[in-house]
Amino acid sequence: MHKEEYTGLAPELMEIPEEKFRLVNLDMDESDEKFKGKPIGFLKDAFLRFSKNKVSMVALAGVLLVIFMAFAGPAMTPYGYNDQNPEEANLPPKMPGLEKLGILDGSRWLTSCRKDSLDEFPEGSILEIGTDVEEIRGVEVVSVKVDYYKYTGVEDDTYHYFGTDYLGRDLWTRLWRGTRISLLIGFLSAITNCIIGIIFGSIAGYYGGKVDMVMMRICEVINAIPQIVLVTLFILYFGSGLVSIVCALLVQNWVATATLIRSQFYRYKGREYVLAARSLGVTDRKLIFVHILPNAVGPVITRVMTAIPSAIFTESFLAFLGLGIKPPETSIGMLLADGQKVILTYPTQVLFPAIIISILMVCFNLMSNGLRDAFDPTLRGA
Amino acid sequence: MGETMIQVKDLRVNFRAWAGTVQAVRGVNFELKKGETLAIVGESGSGKSVTTKAILGILPSNARITSGEILYNGKDLTKLKEKEFYDIRGKHISLVFQDPLSALNPIQKVGKQICEALKKNEHMSNGEAKKRAIALMEDVGIPEPETKFSQYPFQFSGGMRQRIVIAIALACNPEILICDEPTTALDVTIQSRILDKIKELKAEHDLSVIFITHDLGVVAGIADRVCVMYAGKIVEYGTVDDIFYEPAHPYTWALLSSMPDLDTKEKLFSIPGAPPNMMYPPKGDAFAPRNRYAMEIDFEQEPPFFKVSDTHYAATWLLHPKAPKVELPEVLKHRIQRMKEEREGA
Amino acid sequence: MSEKENRPILEVSNLCMDFYGTGARKSCVHAVDHVSFAVRKGETFGLVGESGCGKTTTGRCIIRLYQPTSGEMYYDGKPIHGKLTREKRKYITDHIAMVFQDPIASLNPRMTVQDIIGEGLKLRGVKDKEERHRIVKGLLVRVGLTPEHATRYPHEFSGGQRQRIGIARALAVNPGMIIADEPVSALDVSVQAQVINLLNELKEDLGLTILFIAHNLSVVKYFSDRIGVMYYGKLLEVADADQLFQRPAHPYTRALLSAVPQPDPYLERKRKKIIYDPSVHQYGPGNEPSYHTIEEGHILYCSDREFEELMKSQEGKKV
Repeated sequence: MHKEEYTGLAPELMEIPEEKFRLVNLDMDESDEKFKGKPIGFLKDAFLRFSKNKVSMVALAGVLLVIFMAFAGPAMTPYGYNDQNPEEANLPPKMPGLEKLGILDGSRWLTSCRKDSLDEFPEGSILEIGTDVEEIRGVEVVSVKVDYYKYTGVEDDTYHYFGTDYLGRDLWTRLWRGTRISLLIGFLSAITNCIIGIIFGSIAGYYGGKVDMVMMRICEVINAIPQIVLVTLFILYFGSGLVSIVCALLVQNWVATATLIRSQFYRYKGREYVLAARSLGVTDRKLIFVHILPNAVGPVITRVMTAIPSAIFTESFLAFLGLGIKPPETSIGMLLADGQKVILTYPTQVLFPAIIISILMVCFNLMSNGLRDAFDPTLRGA
Repeated sequence: MGETMIQVKDLRVNFRAWAGTVQAVRGVNFELKKGETLAIVGESGSGKSVTTKAILGILPSNARITSGEILYNGKDLTKLKEKEFYDIRGKHISLVFQDPLSALNPIQKVGKQICEALKKNEHMSNGEAKKRAIALMEDVGIPEPETKFSQYPFQFSGGMRQRIVIAIALACNPEILICDEPTTALDVTIQSRILDKIKELKAEHDLSVIFITHDLGVVAGIADRVCVMYAGKIVEYGTVDDIFYEPAHPYTWALLSSMPDLDTKEKLFSIPGAPPNMMYPPKGDAFAPRNRYAMEIDFEQEPPFFKVSDTHYAATWLLHPKAPKVELPEVLKHRIQRMKEEREGA
Repeated sequence: MSEKENRPILEVSNLCMDFYGTGARKSCVHAVDHVSFAVRKGETFGLVGESGCGKTTTGRCIIRLYQPTSGEMYYDGKPIHGKLTREKRKYITDHIAMVFQDPIASLNPRMTVQDIIGEGLKLRGVKDKEERHRIVKGLLVRVGLTPEHATRYPHEFSGGQRQRIGIARALAVNPGMIIADEPVSALDVSVQAQVINLLNELKEDLGLTILFIAHNLSVVKYFSDRIGVMYYGKLLEVADADQLFQRPAHPYTRALLSAVPQPDPYLERKRKKIIYDPSVHQYGPGNEPSYHTIEEGHILYCSDREFEELMKSQEGKKV
């Protein structure tokens, strides 16, 4: 080696003891060091990433809460979803506990009551008399806040948490029941949509060429018809039931999933690991389901998650047009459609379904954002 | 040697990443002299690109210069504001990227892209700029520059595109040219022509060049001085002859002997393991865990630079007088011997 | 080379692969244009050329990832061209395996290492899981990894390690021949040697035949017994490695050799570079190029006239 003069060497460097300069690695072999920790699979990795995202975890909790209530909610009241009671029609919401705080206490302002007729109100039903005394054609009128339950003569321990509709059906029961139906429609249509989309898109994307050409033209033809027209005609022809609504939503929605899967296949089928599997003699079916699909699945999961709220939304839109599910069965859309008719007089009838559908929309969308981030392969260590 | 153009002093750059902080550059010192070509050699992740990006002030937003200074014309480039950099980039220091395809705007004619720089920095009129652009294109060896002036990047081959990129870089007569792996994406025959062109232009325009690469063969052809980087640090620097004929750092040995040349017959010397994770840089010498010649002290204390000759320094404890004398790897010993014979024979 | 059998294990003759573009022009690219060569049993045949010269396409045609437009290929005497029947595919995949370029993209990120390596075994009737894992662990040790690595996912490995997993996958089917498509070009300099040394060891221990595709001439020279030089879909010259580098016959080969950067500053300073201009050939009617044998094992693609000139000049040198 170089035997130069080390005159410029600092004294502290010269003081390092001799034994420090023993070679330690001379007989090093080429085996690699072991890894620490447990192997992390793809799904586990995605889940870890997802669980680190606070917003999506909150959204997930929201969705789970709504799903839980959709099943447990109707059982929390003594009423059935179709128990009609005309005497208890259009009651305002009243909840035990909260009524003491002055909200959801079953009270309602009655406007333009003749001042002289106030004595005729049922005993104890008047809570507050307004100060806006007016004279209309010589009669003094005033607004009065009444305990509507007492006012209509309903029994004392009756509670309708979200009030009742025009037929006196308990809205709490109906809302959760409707949520259940809406979620069912959402999940069913999203799942069927995915199954059809994945199969169709996989075949088109994997084989490519002429097969792909024909299959994509079919998709384009289906997509060329305006959705509202197609769905409306479908429901008018097949009648309005759960199955026909799911089918109506499916008719066109699978096309988008199929196109997505197809483009994913185009992206992944040329990857070297797919070529490597082919060069080992792996069959087409295995290539599609073992090598390509699991890698392409990230955006699909995200897509399912966005498909659910959009199905719910489309369903309520159909209900609005009067194409909803068949009464007396209900859905969030049906409740909204019914509620909007009386939005000025009984705003709570539309408020609660609106809140639930908003929660579902926001939570599902935030969750799908979180899932998209969790599945994004660009964030994975390369 | 001439005057110092750029002096980098104890530069440290950190990156914030999803899982923590990556110490990409950990105390780099070097200077670029006027008229020389300084090659920075290292593997991917050794911090060579980051160092030059810091010089040009084009670090990504998650990077931060934690300490050190880069002196150019008495100014510290690390403290400049973005606006002040505009006057330096292109005009005084310019950059040639690795990938000529992504460095050019695909929907703009190449002539216009060259003119753009001229108009912005030199305030030329359209006519003047065009004349100068055509002269530049001729300069970098593009045939029929008048026709090519109004063509789009996709109409050029990889080598020609890289020439356009070089033309843009040279448009405003910079003093310093930084080439970040300019030939990695090119084929060998085109690579050798581009390298010749860079050498030629360097002499013509009196440029100082910082040349970044991982290919030691390219370095041997183009560089005057070489810095070898590993894990965010320079481990050895010296003239090109120092590095190739008398390498002193075990990492340089490993690099030189892990690649075959056209006369290699022996088993290659392979470096076990992989470069360290720069999120947790190891204590002591970063190369020690992969180093066949590692000593106990390598794991405890970072080696300082030892002087091998006036131009040649290496940061390895092997140069300490108390260290045992070790043999070079077989492949390298033979190769150096062969090279010396060739040289004396000629 | 004398102990090696001289029998060709892989014969390729007049292989053509055309890619058709879409759109108005319907352009056609002859990615591989009448390429013929033979690989002897137990040797390493290097295929070099610049990007886009068709060397990768040739490799993928042989293992039938692409359907060649025309041409004949024989492995061990049996035809592997023509319609890809189930039996033919099995014959090809049983005997030829491939190592790919990109260590990141060539391993399925959703599979554990033992599933990746074990896939070929599973297809070949090793149904028992225990048995399969035992073989996989053996292979891992063979390529310098440890058995504990079997349950890991690819993204936990470094580039060199991943490439070694790719080699283990190729070895799992116990092939007679490996097509290594740029196995080191995506790796860092310091780990390239690991992979080259490993391939060399395996070749010697298992008696493998390797078709080595690369653009780095130094690596090809180091690794190969014989080398074929490709340029724009054509195979220009085939020769023993040393012969090709000492006496290159084709002007393109000369240009290519003169451009290889060498880690020797002195050599670099005095080097003279040759620039290849395809128009020197003046091929045309009456002057068509074809394969000529200069001497045993050294084949050149040139016209008759060029060949005569070359032979004359060589004789001149000998005298």
